[in-house]
Amino acid sequence: MSEFALEGVKILDFAWVGVGPITTKYFADNGAEVIRVESSARPDVLRIAPPWKDARPGINSSQFFASYNTSKKGITLDLGKPKARELVKKLVPWADIVVESFTPKAMRNWGLDYPKLCELRPDLIMLSTCMQGQTGPNALYPGFGQLMAALSGFYYISGYNEESPCPPYGAYSDFVAPRFSASVLLAALDYRRRTGAGQYIDMSQYEASLHNLAPALIDYFATGRVLGPRANRSDRYAPHGAYRCADEDGNDRWIAIAVADDAQWRAMLEVLGAGDGDARFAAHRDRLRDSAAIDEFVNPLVREHNAYELTRKLQAAGVAAYPVQNCVDIHHDENLEAFDFWHWLEHKEMGLAVYEGLEHRMSRTPGALRSAAPILGQDNDEVFSGMLGLSADEIEVLKKENVIM
Amino acid sequence: MASELLKGFRMLDLADEKGALAGKIFADMGAEVIKVEPPRGCPTRTIAPFLEDLPGPDRSLYAIAYHAGKKSVTANLDSPGGRELLAALAAKSDFLVESFDPGHLESIGLGYDALAKRNPRLIYTSITPFGDRGPARDYKWADIISWAAGGAMYMMGEEGKPPLQMSLPQAGLHAGGEASVASMLAHQARQRDGFGQRIVVNMQACIVWTLMNEQAMPILHGDYIKRTGVFTGSKDTRRKMVYRCKDGHISTLIAGGTLGGASTKALIAWMNEAGFAAQWMLEKDWTAWVPGMFMALTERDHFEINDLEDRIQKFFMTMTKQEIYAGTLKRRILLAPVATVADIAADPQLKAREYFVEVEHDALGRRMTMPGAFAKLSRTPIGAPTPAPAIGQHNGEIYGGLLGLGAARLGELKSAGAI
Repeated sequence: MSEFALEGVKILDFAWVGVGPITTKYFADNGAEVIRVESSARPDVLRIAPPWKDARPGINSSQFFASYNTSKKGITLDLGKPKARELVKKLVPWADIVVESFTPKAMRNWGLDYPKLCELRPDLIMLSTCMQGQTGPNALYPGFGQLMAALSGFYYISGYNEESPCPPYGAYSDFVAPRFSASVLLAALDYRRRTGAGQYIDMSQYEASLHNLAPALIDYFATGRVLGPRANRSDRYAPHGAYRCADEDGNDRWIAIAVADDAQWRAMLEVLGAGDGDARFAAHRDRLRDSAAIDEFVNPLVREHNAYELTRKLQAAGVAAYPVQNCVDIHHDENLEAFDFWHWLEHKEMGLAVYEGLEHRMSRTPGALRSAAPILGQDNDEVFSGMLGLSADEIEVLKKENVIM
Repeated sequence: MASELLKGFRMLDLADEKGALAGKIFADMGAEVIKVEPPRGCPTRTIAPFLEDLPGPDRSLYAIAYHAGKKSVTANLDSPGGRELLAALAAKSDFLVESFDPGHLESIGLGYDALAKRNPRLIYTSITPFGDRGPARDYKWADIISWAAGGAMYMMGEEGKPPLQMSLPQAGLHAGGEASVASMLAHQARQRDGFGQRIVVNMQACIVWTLMNEQAMPILHGDYIKRTGVFTGSKDTRRKMVYRCKDGHISTLIAGGTLGGASTKALIAWMNEAGFAAQWMLEKDWTAWVPGMFMALTERDHFEINDLEDRIQKFFMTMTKQEIYAGTLKRRILLAPVATVADIAADPQLKAREYFVEVEHDALGRRMTMPGAFAKLSRTPIGAPTPAPAIGQHNGEIYGGLLGLGAARLGELKSAGAI
C-alpha cells in the first residue's frame, strides 16, 4: 500500500463555499489532514443549497457541500466569541497551512491575520482567497462565483450574439481558480521545506480566473479588439458546433463535431452519405468563411442519426465528434467509467451518494476520496479533547456557551 | 522577475493546447520551463487569432499568452537524434508534461518507463482527452469535444437552439491547470522519497468537475437542467441571472436567506429611491425569503419573482453597466457587470493591484500587456514573465549549456534534421 502524496501535511481550513474548499480538497484527498472550522450560527451556504439526499433539505444532507469536502474533518466554533478564537490559536501551531476565504477584514478583526498567526507558528503558510483580493478599492466586494464569472469576462463570450448572453452554468470561476491556488500552495509548501520560510498568499479569484481569458485580453491591449459571443463559430474548424440528432424519449439530442481539414471533411461526408457535398464548401478556407451556411448544410444530414452511433462512425473515420451529454448521460459514460471516475461513498446522514472522483490518476501515490464530507461538528470531540486535551466538562461548558457550536 | 518559489526545478513542456497552461503556471512559479517543439514549431503557434490578424509562428495570441515565461528548443522526435535529445533532456529534468495522442511517446521509445530508467525522479504527466484506457482513448479531439463530453455544453444556450461553447475554448485550460496541480502533488511525494511517477490527466473529467451541483441533481432530485438562456436553476429554483441595461448586460441573482437577503433588501431600497420598487417589496422580510429552496412555489411566490424581475429590468435600463456596478459596490449588492475585455482592462481594482504587466517582445518589436501574477505571494512574488520564445530560441543555451553539446555535434544534429 503506497502512502499518499501529502501524508503528514496539516491544514486548518476556515474557507467556505467553492474556491477554498475545492483547493483544500486536493490536499485532503491526497492524504493531508484537513480540519474545516465551521459554525452552525453561520453555516457554509452550500450546506443549505441543493441537491439534497432524497431532495429533502437538511444541514447535513447537501451533496453540493459534500462534493467539495471529502476526506476532511469538521469542527464547529463561533469565531465571533473570544474563547473560540483562543481555541483557534491553540490549533494554529499544529497547522502547516491556514486557508481562509472570508471578506478581507474578517480575520484581521478577529486578530487572526497572518502576522498574528505567525507569532504562534513562524513558518506558517497562509492562503487568503476572496473575490477581488485583499487590497484595492473593491477588496470588500461581496459575491460568489456566478457573479465572478460575469465580472471576469466569461459571460460576455458566451452566447449566440450580443443581444442574448448565454452564461456557462453555475459559478464557473470557482472551478478555474482552485487549479491555481492548489498549485501555488503546494509550491509554497515545497519552498518552505527547502528554506524553512512560510509566507502569505493573497489570491484574488478574479485575477486567477482572468488567466483563462488571457489571449483575448492581450489582443485587446494590443489592438483594441473586443472578443464577443460567436455562437460556436471557430477560426480553425468548420463545421464546428453542436448539431441536432434524433430525439430520444422526448429529449433533444445533439452531437458536437469539429472538422479540421479537407480529409476530415470528405470522411464526414462519406459517413453521412452526402457524396461530394456542396461545391461552395470545396476547400477548408471556404468552409471557415461561412459557418452559418455550413451549419445549414450539416443539420439535415445528422438530424435522423442517433448521436452515440454517429459518434462511433465519425470517430472511426477520423472525425472529431462526441454526443453533447447532459447530467444524466455523464453518469453512464463508458469513458468516465473506464477511468473509474464516479465514486459512491457512505455519508453519516446521507448514506450512499455519488461523488465526482479525481480528474487525474497518479501511478505511485494515487489520491482517493478517503471519506465522505463531515457532518457539522463531527470531529469536535476528537479535536478538542484528543488534540487540545480539553476535558469532557470543559467541552460541555464551551458548548453551553455556544463557543463550540 | 521570476518567482523564487520553484527556482532550480526544470520542466519539459511538450503539451499543445491541451495543456500549455501547466507550463505557464510552472514558469510563473519560477521553474525553468523548456518547450520542446518540432522544428516547424509547436501546433499552438498556428492557433488563430493572430496579432493584427497576421499569421506567423510568433503571432498567435494563444502562444503569446501561454508560452510566456518559457524557453524553447527544437527536437524532431521523428528522428533518432531528436529522440535522443529529448531523452537526454529528460534525464536532467524534474517534470515532463505532454499531450500527444495517448501512447504516442511510448511508441517512439519516450514513454514514462523508458525515461524513468534514466531518471527515476522524473514526474511525467500525460494530458489525455478521455484517459488512457477507455473506448474513446484514440478519439480525435478538439476543445469542443471535451466541453460536450463533460456536460458543460448541454447547459449553455437557449431551449431548442444549439448548445454552446465559449468563444475562447476552455477545456485545454482546465486540463493544463489540473496537470499543474497533479505534477505538484507528485513533487511532494518525490521530495519525501526521491521517486517520480506517471500521471494521467483526464480532460473529460476536468469538465465534469465544472458542473458544480448539477452532476448530482439527476440522482438526488430526479431532474436535470436544460438550456435556459439567461436563467439558472431547475423548476422552482429557476432565477434570471442576466439583465439588460443601457449599454450591455449585468448579472445578479435575486436571493433571500443568509446569502442574499441583505443584498436584495439593499437593491429594493435603491430601486425605491428611483421609484421602481413596489410597496410589497419594501414590507417583505428578505432574510426569511427562500422560495423554491425548501418547498414548491406558491402562486404568490411566482408573482413576487416575476414582479421583482420585471421591475429590476426596468430599473437597470435607466443606467449603464458601470453606473449600476458602482451603485451596487456602494450598497453591497450582489451584482457584477457582464464585463468585456475592455471593461476588465479599465477596471480600477485591477489597476490598484497592478495586475497587468508589460512584456517586451523583441520578436514582435513591441511591448505587450498581459495578465500578471495569478496570486500575490509575500516572500516569493510572481513578476512579469519573459516573452514567449521564438522557435528554438534557446537551442544554444540548452543544448550547448545544459547538455554540453559542442558546436560540431549541434551542426551534425541540424544537418541530420534532428533540431
